[in-house]
Amino acid sequence: MFVHIRNLAFKYPQAKDHTINDFNLTIDQGEIISILGESGSGKSTILRLIAGLEMPTNGNIMVGDHCMCSNSQFTQPEKRGIGMVFQDYALFPHMTVQDNVKFGLQKWPRKDKKERIHEVLELVGLEDYRKRYPFELSGGQQQRVALARALAPKPKLLLFDEPFSNLDADLQIRIREELRRIIKAAGVTSIFVTHDQDDSQALADRIVVLREGNIVETGTPEDIFGTDCNFSDRMPVKPRVLSRV
Amino acid sequence: MKWLRTLKTYTNIWTILSIVFALFVILPNISIIVQLFSEPNDNWQHIQEYMLQNYIQNTLLLVVFVGGFTLIIGTSLAWLISAYDFPMRRFFQWGMILPLAIPPYIGAYTYHGILNYTGVIQTTLRDQFDVTVNQDYFNIMNMPGAIFILTIFLFPYVFTITKAFLARQSTALVENARLLGSNAWRTFFRVVLPISRAAMIAGVSLVILEVLNDYGVVKYYGIQTFTTAIFQTWFGMGDLNSAIKLAGTLMLIVLAILVVERIMRGRRRYSFTTTKVKLLKPTRLEGKTKWLVFTYCMTIFSLGFIIPVIQLIYWATMAYEQFFEQDFWSLIGNSVFVAFVASILIVVMAVVISNFSRLNRGLLAKTFPKVTILGYSIPGAVIAVGVVTLFTAIDRQLFGFYEWLGFEPTLVLSTSIVMLIFAYVIRYLAVGYNSIESGFERIGTNFTEASRMLGMSVTKSFFKVDMKLIRGAIFGGFILAFIDIMKELPLTLILRPFNFDTLATKAFQYATDEMIQRSAMPSLLIILVSGIAIYVFHHVLEKES
Repeated sequence: MFVHIRNLAFKYPQAKDHTINDFNLTIDQGEIISILGESGSGKSTILRLIAGLEMPTNGNIMVGDHCMCSNSQFTQPEKRGIGMVFQDYALFPHMTVQDNVKFGLQKWPRKDKKERIHEVLELVGLEDYRKRYPFELSGGQQQRVALARALAPKPKLLLFDEPFSNLDADLQIRIREELRRIIKAAGVTSIFVTHDQDDSQALADRIVVLREGNIVETGTPEDIFGTDCNFSDRMPVKPRVLSRV
Repeated sequence: MKWLRTLKTYTNIWTILSIVFALFVILPNISIIVQLFSEPNDNWQHIQEYMLQNYIQNTLLLVVFVGGFTLIIGTSLAWLISAYDFPMRRFFQWGMILPLAIPPYIGAYTYHGILNYTGVIQTTLRDQFDVTVNQDYFNIMNMPGAIFILTIFLFPYVFTITKAFLARQSTALVENARLLGSNAWRTFFRVVLPISRAAMIAGVSLVILEVLNDYGVVKYYGIQTFTTAIFQTWFGMGDLNSAIKLAGTLMLIVLAILVVERIMRGRRRYSFTTTKVKLLKPTRLEGKTKWLVFTYCMTIFSLGFIIPVIQLIYWATMAYEQFFEQDFWSLIGNSVFVAFVASILIVVMAVVISNFSRLNRGLLAKTFPKVTILGYSIPGAVIAVGVVTLFTAIDRQLFGFYEWLGFEPTLVLSTSIVMLIFAYVIRYLAVGYNSIESGFERIGTNFTEASRMLGMSVTKSFFKVDMKLIRGAIFGGFILAFIDIMKELPLTLILRPFNFDTLATKAFQYATDEMIQRSAMPSLLIILVSGIAIYVFHHVLEKES
């Protein structure tokens, strides 16, 4: 097991109830996991806990051989070697594409840095845009820059927070195929949270369905949605009109 | 185990510095509260029995009337300028803030100069029309005069806050009221006033805090209030102990006002957050109404800005030579130096505390922003008392250390400029803080989190990302603090080292020494710098939104 999460619990200081209650999950190396749930189900909180942006009230998180967090110890997010693609991408507006990608490589030798920037920008197909500023790019391009930036320092684990919510529908379908290709090519273990079952089905090796902080179902897309395209009668989450299917 | 983990995780330079800075602000206030309950002396008995009632009465009179008048003037102007179109409306939008550029104490002696026996009005009447007037009608140095001065130079607080609210928040409601057939008066009284209550209260409480802080106006006009009483007991009678007790009482009054404000604003915040800001479209006024509204605005603007400035310019032309040959450069140097150093410190402290507060949850992160406001609410004279007691206490503790260093004087810190700068920082921290906090609010925490996920620590993230994104807000906070410090009077008068003068103290001193012409140059300099800042700010903000 590459990622090992045990008994994870979390509560916001002012909240009455726990947002996350006894969450357990193991992930294999190179696997793409999708956490599927409605808004308010606690899926983004889990991502933030793994990233180290929140401190859990209980539980352990292991990534590789390293303990990221236990009841006696907490590794700061910058020391975890985990990458994250934010919902709104959070590209630094005062830096070019190239500088954004370079940002995570501060400790690399200069020559390797250059090579790596070239490599990841090629991977996402934005080699020609390196001198542009984020606001000069389209939504889809911005997302690919965010991906390249997160991939550049070779993270052990890559997290995606609602990666498609800011893209329009057509782009969303094209990009998620592309995204799966890139992640698999990079061979990086990934977790992405989404509320959209189409995304889950198209991208994930395994889906975890979350409701009110608890896992209600887990399995391959086939296990959860069935093999045929028409899975609307087995919707575990809020139904969504699928006119395109 | 968990608390140890929490302690280890959150103990970093930002937390430690935030705690230290918050202590800076709290300590002088605590030293006042502690001594408020110490054994009173005979003097205090005397003050309590014969004078305290008078201080309270005068202070309350000022607060009530200035509060009431600024409320009426500020709100009516805000509504007229937001909802109607008439000549010079665009100018008034920022021009009505200009009276804030004139510190009330400068306004006080300027108006006295205009109205007294040798002033321009009476001389003109005598020379041109051979009319000698009853001096009583032209005497401004009394309670109504002080109310007039404080109202006409402080109403912009109510005006700006209410106008900002009306322009951004009221559009849908006002348009609906109009569509439902409400006429102008009805719309104003039934819709505009109720919805902008929170903004009006916020503006008026700022005015009240300024009134309580004022020393220059009441001192010059000879009205006994808490601030003048603190000065008098301390320097006149040499009784610091009773001064502390007065300061403590005043502080309790301020706290009561803050509590009342909280209660009055209550849960009804009257602001719904819509991301789409739709500006109120002004209705064109025609005919007589147009000129009536224009005259009202122009009268207020003339009283609050044009008339005093023209008078000051006239005086300055009579005496500028003396001013230049004397202490011109050293005054400017002193003013700029203390304001610059204090503003830098304010910005650094504000950045540290607001960055800490936004990146953390928990009790400390929630209390620190409130602590920064403390100093701005508490009158300068009170802060001065607190700072002096604190610094003399520190000096006593360090007595042995000074001897060991070979210093002759026993009071080192409490006679140095450090004390003055320290007091400025406490008093105006909130000014810098507000600006920087709103800058941080605009960028959110996403960029910081992204930077940390890419391997940068909080500190590195701040310098590489956050600081670059809130440059404007940092600069804005610096400028606002700088200007407030340049204008400041009571703190500077009490805490300045021997023979150390700033533009503000010199202007006030010339005026009290009946050398009104010579006070004109330093006064104009202060007004000029503040006026430019107001202009720049208004136009930069306009562009941003």
